[in-house]
Amino acid sequence: MKVCVLYSGGKDSNLALLKAREEFEVSCLVTLSPRSEESTIFHYPNTELVKLQAESLDIPLIMKTCSDDEKSSLKVLYDALRKAKEFYRVEGVVTGAIRSTYQATRFQRICDDLELWCFNPLWLRDEISILNEALEFGFEIIFVRVAGLDKSMLGKKLTKDIVRKFAERYGYINPAGEGGEYETLVLDMPLFKKKLKISEFEIVGKDYDATLIIKKAELVEK
Amino acid sequence: MILVISTCKYPLSEEEFVRPIVEIVRDCGFDYHVRRYYERIEIEDYSKVLICGTALRDFDYLNHINNFADLAEYDGNVLGICAGYQILAMLFSNALEEIKKIGVYKVRIVRENPLIKGDEIRAYFLHRYALRSVNEKLIPLAMQDEEICMFKVKGRDFYGVSFHPEVLNREIIVNFLYL
Repeated sequence: MKVCVLYSGGKDSNLALLKAREEFEVSCLVTLSPRSEESTIFHYPNTELVKLQAESLDIPLIMKTCSDDEKSSLKVLYDALRKAKEFYRVEGVVTGAIRSTYQATRFQRICDDLELWCFNPLWLRDEISILNEALEFGFEIIFVRVAGLDKSMLGKKLTKDIVRKFAERYGYINPAGEGGEYETLVLDMPLFKKKLKISEFEIVGKDYDATLIIKKAELVEK
Repeated sequence: MILVISTCKYPLSEEEFVRPIVEIVRDCGFDYHVRRYYERIEIEDYSKVLICGTALRDFDYLNHINNFADLAEYDGNVLGICAGYQILAMLFSNALEEIKKIGVYKVRIVRENPLIKGDEIRAYFLHRYALRSVNEKLIPLAMQDEEICMFKVKGRDFYGVSFHPEVLNREIIVNFLYL
């Protein structure tokens, strides 16, 4: 089966992609780039870097910009998936949804409307196990947005030590960042032919509500 | 020993529909085996059977429905989830109707039962077919609008739920394991 992956460039969609590739042909990535951080469905920061990630993966990318309101962003997603179906002949969609029934419901409905299979290989996974699995696969992950975590986390690499600290604070924060506590960018993972190198960035926002804006990045040899 | 039956055509779907059930079984400390719908299974070796759901577009298990025929004579306990609910309904001669339901909905508990307490719960649905009426072999336990979303087989400890209890109602699976 040919599938597309809903791809934000963060840890969950990259892990979902890795699992999808074990079984299916991933014909394209689909990325929705929200205009602001208010989006309740899609990952916000640095979606432009997805273009570099797609180049490193050597997988075609369908990228669309969407507004923050749910109705119009779901319409944009519908159109993007329809394009994936018509142009790349995909029969299924793979997402990195973990626990949000709100998000899963909307993805399932759109897939059903388009007569596409919907796969959510991380669904209901223990969040700590997702972080550990990504690290064991050799993912290089940095924090690019925090909302509730200290802004000193921005730009830091996810490590086993940080995962252990998240596990200790389980109940106060969602360790996978599903509550919007943080968002990530994957600089390297096993399917990347080259890795991302960030050479210029800026931090905007306040102590516990800040974003790492990447101004310059390139692909370099691994 | 608990038997967990996958109705998923694709292994990637098992990550979504079987692994969460297996994790609950394992968390409760029970031993288990996972088997697939296209295998012939000696169910008498197991004390309880859990039949998991699958993707909305997946109906391949219907091509192997005869593999479930032995359940009719089985003495243990069975919990059918989504596709498993549909299999139990058909096994006891009930006709499924096209009722597509995706998302979280309120469920009314209409009959006291050992799997779930209270009058009302919220449950996550993902199905295309379900029951609006049942024959004399099934007892409705819960309703979602006009859909019979939970039933018991009369005289047996067989239960069917059309929603996915592993998402918002884990206690249904835990209570079943301790029946």
